[in-house]
Amino acid sequence: MKLKLNNRDPVYLQIVRYFKEQISIGELDPGEEIPSRRELANMLKVNPNTAQRAYKEMEEQGLIYTERNHPSRITTDKQILGKVREELILDAVDTFVTSVSPINVPVEELLELVRDKYTTSSVKEDTHD
Amino acid sequence: MIEVKAVEKKYGRKKILKGVSFTANKGEITCLIGINGVGKTTILNAIMALTPIDKGQILIDGEPIKEKSFEKITFIPDAIAMVPNMTIEEAMTFMNDFYTSWNQGRATELLEFFRLNKSDKISSLSKGNTAKVNLLLGLALDVDYVLMDEPFSGIDIFSREEIANVFTSHLIENRGVIITTHEIGDIEHLIDKVVLLDDGIVTKAFNAEEARENEGKSVIDVMREVYQNEKLLKTR
Repeated sequence: MKLKLNNRDPVYLQIVRYFKEQISIGELDPGEEIPSRRELANMLKVNPNTAQRAYKEMEEQGLIYTERNHPSRITTDKQILGKVREELILDAVDTFVTSVSPINVPVEELLELVRDKYTTSSVKEDTHD
Repeated sequence: MIEVKAVEKKYGRKKILKGVSFTANKGEITCLIGINGVGKTTILNAIMALTPIDKGQILIDGEPIKEKSFEKITFIPDAIAMVPNMTIEEAMTFMNDFYTSWNQGRATELLEFFRLNKSDKISSLSKGNTAKVNLLLGLALDVDYVLMDEPFSGIDIFSREEIANVFTSHLIENRGVIITTHEIGDIEHLIDKVVLLDDGIVTKAFNAEEARENEGKSVIDVMREVYQNEKLLKTR
């Protein structure tokens, strides 16, 4: 489990986002058992109260579920799982659009650039920060 | 809960604490931050009744500290307070004789956690390992509150990481911790509450995650802000 935390976003939301990413790329499967709160806190070097809060948030969003006296698992709800990927993509596109729109680039030119950049950047994936 | 209420303390004519108030909850890590000389260690000493205070009050779970309290709260000073000639094992026996709250099972676990050798003499240990033994002797007590004075200072990065790992383990779980530091970097994501001290007063106390959530600020951002405001006020 590798997650580089930044200091300005709430840690629990960074954890939730990390789980969403892992779900959307298939690293975490539907119904898969996830680490306990304590284990997660230890793996990510975060405060156990924060790990607890991240799990509570994911439970509220229906991303994970916990049966009494059992470890938590990723949901098997296809609708929720489908939304996760969509949400991540839309979020990223929104951010991109917001930052690029003041420059008034014709959309065709933009799409061309995106296509170019995207194919070269997926080759050197490890530059992701 | 540990409540520090309007505590004042003078050393001779020098006022070190000028009315310090804050609280530290059980199950949370509270970090006292301030540059050297602002009174961090004095506050810990005052909580442990190691130094008398001139004004104010300190309560532990609603009661002033008494002899019985030392089975409930422990202080890990910045330098080990053990006879250097003792081996780690002898030091553990010493603690066991002294405290009913000593938990040998947990001590053994900590020995493994820190990869220490119990037959080693304390005086023969490196600085990092001495700091780990110091922590071990404090954390192996079954107490509700742990005060730690600068557990990271002057220690190499890997030992610092190992010590930081303790904070996310069950060795700390459910206890109330007060830790002092002048460098927040190592533990920014580990702490619940931050109490900023400057010149004998609390300039700001806040929850680290709330600062990130509500203001998009890191602990250091908030510190910088407070520090700059202070400077402005002083030059006026």
